[in-house]
Amino acid sequence: MKKVAIASLLFAANLFAISHAEVAKKNDKTMSGFEDSKSTMTMTLINAKGQTRIRTIRSKSLELDGGDKSLMEFLSPADVKGTKFLNYEHAQKDDDQWLYLPALKRVKRISSKNKSGAFMGSEFSYEDVSSFNIDKYDYKQEDAKTSILQGKEVYVVERTPNYKYSGYTKQVSYVDTKTFLTLQVDYYDRKKSLLKSSYFSDYKKISDVYRTGKIHMKNFQNSKESILVWNDETVKNGLSSKDFHKRALKK
Amino acid sequence: MKKLISLVILGTTLFAEVQTEGFVGLDSQSYSQKDAKHSTNFTLEQQLKLSYEDGDFSSVLEVFAQEDYADVSNTKDNDRTFARINEVYFQYEFEEDRVLLGKNIRFWGALEVNNLVDVFNIQEGRNDPTRTDKIGAYNFEYTHYFEESEFSFITKLYEQKNKISASSYMYSTLQEGESLNGTLDSEKSLYRPNVYLTYNGSLSDDYAIDYAFIYQNGYDSQRYSTKSGSTYTEHAYLVNKFMTYNTLVVDSTLYKIEFAYADILDDNTVSDYINLGLGVEHTMGHFEDGSEIGLIGEYYYYHTLKDDKLSDIDLAQSFQNDLFLGLRYSLNDVSDSSAVGGVILDTQYNEQNYYVEYESRFFDTFKVKVDARYIEPSTSHNTVFAKQGRQHRFGFNISYHF
Repeated sequence: MKKVAIASLLFAANLFAISHAEVAKKNDKTMSGFEDSKSTMTMTLINAKGQTRIRTIRSKSLELDGGDKSLMEFLSPADVKGTKFLNYEHAQKDDDQWLYLPALKRVKRISSKNKSGAFMGSEFSYEDVSSFNIDKYDYKQEDAKTSILQGKEVYVVERTPNYKYSGYTKQVSYVDTKTFLTLQVDYYDRKKSLLKSSYFSDYKKISDVYRTGKIHMKNFQNSKESILVWNDETVKNGLSSKDFHKRALKK
Repeated sequence: MKKLISLVILGTTLFAEVQTEGFVGLDSQSYSQKDAKHSTNFTLEQQLKLSYEDGDFSSVLEVFAQEDYADVSNTKDNDRTFARINEVYFQYEFEEDRVLLGKNIRFWGALEVNNLVDVFNIQEGRNDPTRTDKIGAYNFEYTHYFEESEFSFITKLYEQKNKISASSYMYSTLQEGESLNGTLDSEKSLYRPNVYLTYNGSLSDDYAIDYAFIYQNGYDSQRYSTKSGSTYTEHAYLVNKFMTYNTLVVDSTLYKIEFAYADILDDNTVSDYINLGLGVEHTMGHFEDGSEIGLIGEYYYYHTLKDDKLSDIDLAQSFQNDLFLGLRYSLNDVSDSSAVGGVILDTQYNEQNYYVEYESRFFDTFKVKVDARYIEPSTSHNTVFAKQGRQHRFGFNISYHF
């Protein structure tokens, strides 16, 4: 009888066993299908002394199979107001990126090779703010372990960026076992030390698609923090590739 | 026509919900002493931009004013106090087309230090020549957008006259007692339209390339002056000009080229010429604090195709065989601080122009820039720098942005 009970338990456990890659796929599926989005983002930069600076960005993005397209317009600080950043993501090669500098009326092509640079002086890198794509990572070839985070059961998923110039050697994401939404990601630097963690919250279901409402990034090596909040986000607005033509930079 | 366009756009912006932005700043430089020139300069600057957007329609009005301390205090009149409209235009975006009418500023080019194809607007002749300060030009533009490229037909409605500061200002090309005639001399009317056809786009299959081709029929951006007594007269002439600028991205390196060929149409004193610029910009890896270093190298070449015409020195071409080597250090911090330094070496006339610039922001609303420059002019030829003489300079600029 005891052997039957143990066997039943093992069978049940196997039913719920899921690989790291499968968790990532389900996570990606949960967040996909927004087609396009528009929002205003507020970014709060907090230095080691607790002093804050606020940045605002108008953003729109287009969901595409080969890699998303996005356009960001900086609204503050005042001296960079109107600066725009256009990005065509590619999973297997460098992104195409352009910067519009309003003071010079100049559209400048920029190199996207190094994505580990700080995004607007924040603790987010360009790599962090680009959209999640499962093809950008290699996953541990075994079943994902579970753990408890913020009172919720989560899958602990380990992934390695396959982009040669990534700023990270490893990322560990904590994904809710019920909703398959990411709650936290730990980032390990090139020396394999824990660099920072991002905490995801305020998920909103907009037009039947989950969207992130807030990401709080804490850097453990310099004690700085950045908080990114999406305001007034709308999805499925009917945007097309034409809205992400280079003409959008000068509009 | 100009007044009508201005009134229409001004009316649109005044009676609609407009967005405002601008700055108030103080710009100052101190120079090594030179006879009959000021050794310091202080200028107050104000800029206001009003913009209105309603769906596919948008209009812009940008005005700029500056007050030179020497003008205001009457210590010596620099002729550098003025107000001007930088831009006043409206545009409408159709599904695959755009039309624009009014006065605006455009940028064409790929290089960092000298853009030889950036010929649409004239540079403000009363200000520091080391900074970009272009004057808007009235024009009409029609653009058609293709999937990854665009074609534009642009016609500039008149050719603008240059204004320059009085001889007491350090960067005035005039010597004491000299002046510039208020006319711009030309064979044809200055209201003869300049036509520009541009085609530009991007490729991203095997190589990431941005390309642009421009054909111009109209007045050349290069001008020359003649002197009668103590008065200079500026001359403009017509050209057919073919230009291109391109950028190729390979890993962390940008390769750039700008090229122009000018066929002179109605002036026997100026030769057809070619202008070539080559550039490379390499971004090095990030440091642990997030900062990064970029290395920049550029080469500029100007060549007249006939020897019996005005030479590059007569035409005040200061980038005729020059090499720029520079370094950009971006801190990637909350203040977007960066430093740029380098040297422009004139390999033909043996001149060196060293400089370093630093800019940052504080309290999120104030921007500060400092720069130091040293120019060692040619001792064998009467170049632009030779006319100014050897000089040191320290500059400081602070501005409040809203």
